[in-house]
Order: sequence, then C-alpha cells, then structure tokens
Amino acid sequence: MEDLLAEFIAESRDMLEALSGEIVAWEADPADRARLDAIFRFVHTVKGNCGFFEFPRLEALSHAAEDALADVRAGRRQADQSLVSAVLAVIDRIAEIVAAIGEGREQPDADDAPLIASLDANAEESAPAPAAAATRAQRRQSATPRTIRLPVELLDRVMSGVSDMAVARNDLARRIAQHEGETGLDAPFNRLSAILADLREAITRIRMQRIETLFSGFPRMVRDLSHELGKQVMVEIESGDVEIDREMIEVVRDPLVHLIRNAVDHGIETPAERQAAGKREIGMLQISARQTGSEIRIGIVDDGKGIDGDKLVEKAVAAGVLSAEEAKLLSMRERNALICEPGLSTAKEVTAVSGRGVGMDVVRANIEKIGGSLMIDSTPGSGTRMMLNVPLTLSIVPSLTIGVGERTFAIPRSYVEEIVRASSEEMDSAQIGGREFITVRGQRIACVGLEEILGVESTCPRDARLYVLIRLVGGDIFGLAVDAIHNHEELVVKPIAPVLMACGFYVGTTQLDDGSPVPMLDVSGVARSAGMIREVKDRSLRRELRHEREEERVLIPALMFRGFDGAERAVEMDAVRRIEKLAVSALRKAKDGSAQAVIDGRIVPLIGLGGFKPEGEEVNLFRAGEDGDERAYAYAEIVDLCEFDPSEVVTAEGASGQRLALIGGRPVELFDAAALLAGAPALANAEA
Amino acid sequence: MDRSLLLVSIAGERAAFASEIIRSVVELDSITPVPRAPAHIAGLAALRSRAMTVVDCRRALELADADEAGSLAVVVELDEFLYALVVDAVEEVVPFDTEPSEIRADLLPGWTRASVGMVETSAGPALVLDPANLIEGPAKRKAA
Repeated sequence: MEDLLAEFIAESRDMLEALSGEIVAWEADPADRARLDAIFRFVHTVKGNCGFFEFPRLEALSHAAEDALADVRAGRRQADQSLVSAVLAVIDRIAEIVAAIGEGREQPDADDAPLIASLDANAEESAPAPAAAATRAQRRQSATPRTIRLPVELLDRVMSGVSDMAVARNDLARRIAQHEGETGLDAPFNRLSAILADLREAITRIRMQRIETLFSGFPRMVRDLSHELGKQVMVEIESGDVEIDREMIEVVRDPLVHLIRNAVDHGIETPAERQAAGKREIGMLQISARQTGSEIRIGIVDDGKGIDGDKLVEKAVAAGVLSAEEAKLLSMRERNALICEPGLSTAKEVTAVSGRGVGMDVVRANIEKIGGSLMIDSTPGSGTRMMLNVPLTLSIVPSLTIGVGERTFAIPRSYVEEIVRASSEEMDSAQIGGREFITVRGQRIACVGLEEILGVESTCPRDARLYVLIRLVGGDIFGLAVDAIHNHEELVVKPIAPVLMACGFYVGTTQLDDGSPVPMLDVSGVARSAGMIREVKDRSLRRELRHEREEERVLIPALMFRGFDGAERAVEMDAVRRIEKLAVSALRKAKDGSAQAVIDGRIVPLIGLGGFKPEGEEVNLFRAGEDGDERAYAYAEIVDLCEFDPSEVVTAEGASGQRLALIGGRPVELFDAAALLAGAPALANAEA
Repeated sequence: MDRSLLLVSIAGERAAFASEIIRSVVELDSITPVPRAPAHIAGLAALRSRAMTVVDCRRALELADADEAGSLAVVVELDEFLYALVVDAVEEVVPFDTEPSEIRADLLPGWTRASVGMVETSAGPALVLDPANLIEGPAKRKAA
C-alpha cells in the first residue's frame, strides 16, 4: 500500500509538471483537442486513483474538473476564459494536496467548494460523461511514459565505478602492450574496451536531462505573471532537443526565472502602450536553447520596449560607476551590460513582481560563477535579446594539458587566447627590468615562466618554448611560458584538498587516461603571484570588451558531417556548391576503388564512400569545385553547421598534409575546395 | 563496543589510527608532486579513479626524513577528500575499546599537536594520531 501510494504521488507530480505547459497552450487555443485530452487525462487519473486511496477532497476536485472537461470534449460546452482559470485553480489545489500527502503533512486547510462551484459557472447541467467512464482502464495505461526513479547518489556511485573501470582498463592495456601481442588477449580486450566506452557514454547521458523539463514550467509562470500585470504575452518555447546536466538545470533555473520575469515586467508593455506604439497588443516572448560544442546557449527574446541605454549611462555616471569620458567609449552592448551593475535599473517604479534593480548583478554573478556568461542586446522600442551561455556540465572542463620539465598541469581552455611558439616569426621578445615581454601582432605582453612561478626546473631550450596567452576575467592578457603542450582534452575535474587549495595555485585535480593525477592550475592565482593582475575598477567594462573582441574575430562557417567510416569531418561552407541527395543507383564503384556519380547527366568523381556501401535508396552528398571540374562527396549525415577560427587551424606533419580545425573543443579534419579537388583525379577524358 | 586500532610505525615509534576512519592501506606506486605545496604534502596519487592527497607523516610530525622515502600509506577520507598518510610500516590491527589516556609528559612538538592521547595495547604503548592534524601540517599551526 505504501509503495502504491508513493507511486501515485510520483505519477501525479510528473503529470503536473508536464501539464503546466499544456494548460497555457490550451488557453491560447481552446479548440486544441490534444491539449484538452492531456488535461482531461490528468484529472481523470487522479480521480481514478482517489477512489482507491480514499482521498475524498482530491476525488471531489478531480471529479468536478473531469465533468466540466468531459462536457467540453463532448461539445456541450465551450472552453472559455473562466473555465480555463477555474480548471487551473483546481489543478493547483490538487498539486498542493498531493505535495502535502507526499511529505506526510496535513492537507492544506482550504474550502474546495468555491473552486468546484466556479467550474460550473454557467448554470449548465453537468452530467457525468458515460464515454469517459467506459475508456477509463485503457486511458490510465497510457498516461505516463515508462520511467523509474533513482537516487542521485546511486547514479554517482555507478559513475565513479565506471571511471574506476576505465582506469583499470588503461592499466591492463599497458600491461598487455608489454607482452607485444603474445597474450592472445587482444581481441577480448578490445571488445571490453568498446563495451566500456559505450557504457561510459550511456552513464554520462543518464545524468543529462532534456532542457524541456526546465522550460515546461515557464509558460504557466509567464501566463500568471502577465495576468497579474494586465499584459498579454505569448510564449514560444523551443528546446531544440538540448540535454543538460541535472545539476546544471538547478543552477540555471533561478537566473532564468529572473530574466523571464524581468522581460515580462519591464520589457513587454501593456496592450494600450503597445497599440500606441503601433505593435500587436500581444507581446511575444521566445525562450530557446541551442547546444554549441560544449556550451548551451539559452536565448530570451522579447518584443517589448527595450532597454534605454542612454538613461542607463546617465544613471551609471551619476552613481559614479564610470566617468563621463569612459561612458562615451561604450558600445551598445556595454551600455546594456550596465543593467547588471548593482542599483542601476531603469524601471520607473518599483513593482511587486520584480522589484527594483532586481538583482541583475546577482543573476550575472551566479551565471559567471559556473563559467557562463550573459550578453544583452536591445533595440529601444522594439525589444531585448538576452543570451545566456552556460557549460554543458559542471564537472567536465575543456582543458589544455601543459608541461614544464617532467611535470604536467592542466588549464581550462576558456582562458587560453592563443598559443605562440618562441621561434615564431610573428613574435618578438625583449627583456625589460628582468621581466620578459613578447610582442605579438603589435601588442606587448608580459610573460612569466611557469617554472618560475612553481619553483620547478624547465628542461627546454629557450627558443623552443611555447607561450600560452591567457586572457584573465578582467580582460588583461599575459603570457605563460611552458615547455610543451601535450593535449586538448575534456577533463573531469574534481575539487582539490583544502590544504592544497590554500597554496593558491590550484583549483582542482583531474586524471589523465593513464590514471595519473594532474593538478589544474588556478590561472588567476598564477597571474596574481607574478603581479600580472592590475587593480581594475571597471571589471565589467573590460569583460564586455572581451565579448566584443570575440565577435570581431573572423570565424569561417563550415559544415560538419559524419562520413561512412564514422569519423567527423568539416568542410568550409564556401567550398560547398550544393548539398543534395542522390539515388544509390546513380553511383558507380570502379575496381580500383574510385567511384563516380551521375549528377544532372554528367559523370562526377565521388569521394567519401571508401569501402562502404551506402544503405537505403538515397545517399547524402555535397558538391564542390566548378562546372567541368566538380567533385561529389558522400557522407552519412550532417552533424552541425558550425564555425571555426582560422587562426586555430593546424596542418598535420608528413605527407597527408591533413588540416585540423578546433570545433567545439575537438580537433576535426577540415577540407577546403583545393583539398577536395585533390581528393580525386578529374575525369578529363571521360567527357571526350 | 568493537573498536580497533591500526598500529603503524613512524620514525621508529609506534603510532595508531582508529581503524573506523581508515579506508584502506595501499602501496603508492607513483606520486605526482605538487609544486608550492606545503612541505609535508608529498603530492597527489590515484586510488582508482579518485585523487588522493599524499601526506608525509614524518614531515607532518616535524621529524627527520627517512633515508629512503616510504610508499606505504594509510588511506583516510575526510570531508569527501581522500588522503594517503605515508608511514614507515604498518604493523597490525589490535582491538581496543577504551578512550586514549592523557599523556603526562612533554613530547616533541609535532607529536603533541597530532596526537589525541596514548593507549596501552597488547603490542605495547602507542600514540593515537588524528589524521586531520597530520593533514593540516605544521605550517598552519605556526601561522595561527
């Protein structure tokens, strides 16, 4: 009985959560039968369960709501504003009671009769719906997806178990390698490795949740808020199938709620104001999520009155946050960012909903704490766009592993601006007052050797060293000289013991593939000890400057795709003439391994098939080159449209001449038009 | 109450840890040194997929270094962090069910700070050490 009750509570909670979006959608379009059915199903399920458990209040409430909704379903009644509100109120009361039962509290003391009466506002008779009763059993079955609940600790234990297994596997791999293939264990070991890799990925995904679970409550919140404020707001949610770490959902929830409340309260105008401004009475609010590499970008866009940048600057100058001269230098985005300074809201009056200043400073601080950022674009009169960037998880950090002498350390990639080789021609070095300065593209940058800071030995000749240019949060750049850069990798970072934290040079520990622990450097601690951090008053200004700079970097758009061999590659968008599907029957494979495709009545050399035979009737391909000298490239699927930084492209040594671009923190083989043309000989005599 | 003590030897003296706080006893095969760490912290080592902070007990007790660095460590968990306390030797586990008694004599400063009392065991007297004090090390105490 206990178990059944727990299941009932859990099921009801799940449905309530899923429902809040449905209700608002239904209100917007009462004719939407699917939404109506979903809501009906909920009250119906509650009612069915109540009979079993003896919760008379729940039963009365759900019964009344079911009756009213059944009438709508049967076409005996129209879903109007008052009915929607009444149903909402009933569902809220059900949620309260369910929560109370779940926590073993007394049920909230309130009179349900007015709620039930409000459902029946028009004197229409509400006879029980016979049709509903007949299909009861069948409906209950399809009410919720098959899920189970697990304590998070158990998940964590499984996760660390899998990590342990990976370390043991690597150890085993080393030992097997010592015997050079004489153990006969290679095949089973490889199988084990593959299974482990699969398992690891699955476990990581278990910790991920669809961002929809976070977004589903927002339509209801906006609805209630806009009613309260006498505004009309239409919410559009696009979750783009993004998945996000469970912990991260909890961390971003509050900042998001805050930004949305702000948008409704201060952004979107009242219907009268909107009409006067020549806009539609109903305001639009878009909430969307996108995954780009290892970051998630959440956008909140409204078509309200925007942020008054001039007024913000005026206030900021008056409050002494910045001087009038500094204010003149600000870009639009920097002006908007002033809204995050404590006490600088432009709201004319304090409202009950979001108060004044609304702690935008707190919102920003919380986002930055988890390594995220907030960007605000606004056009006065026509709307505001807030972009929230947060990392995918709290614990996996894209990193660079660097070496000095025998020692290896990790640094978070997000700080790394650029890597310059000491012997590089672009670089000039000078010794000033005992401190090394390098000049890169006209900018003079102070440098410090990591060995000097950590008191270890460097084993590398001076002119073979590498300078990692690090941009600090304040915007200052300094160069960190190291002996070697080992790898770009995504590392699982764990906290470091307090006794080591206290030395001020480390933020965490991580493990390399071979299981050896590596400390992760505290970049700002390193900079501080070398005197590289200036006291900057205008911290936020500099930070915004950094965003501006990032945008100024020219990024090249590319198409990332997965080949038939499973590898991800990218091709510069400019090289792609056309993306299309072609019937498999139009492909031909020659004995020598080359392949051709017939496109628009011409024979075109085909690359990318390798030894694979495409499945299905059609194959994806893109075309490059020009008329008469064209190549087709077949691929399995498109991964993403992406951008890469040309300054980060490297060319592999040796004959392959492979170019690698850093996309989403991973190295990806990159093609341009020339590489594609070189990938297969032209068919000059085929046309003859 | 069933309590027991793990007897270890550090710089020729017998010391003891309450066994309920001990996760395991391991042979450390490699230690990653951490530059700029306090002198008594030997570095980091891995216990499967978790990192441990390695504490050199001789240094934590302000004693002379051993001729040959030991690799035997007692692993304890404190506030969700693992620490490997490097000792010279691990002797045995002895049952013990009374409280350690106060020491009525001046000891060397390192031992005074790290110990919580003395016990008489079947193998002879031993000082009971508190791992938290060992981990904190001598430097902090001077600063305080």
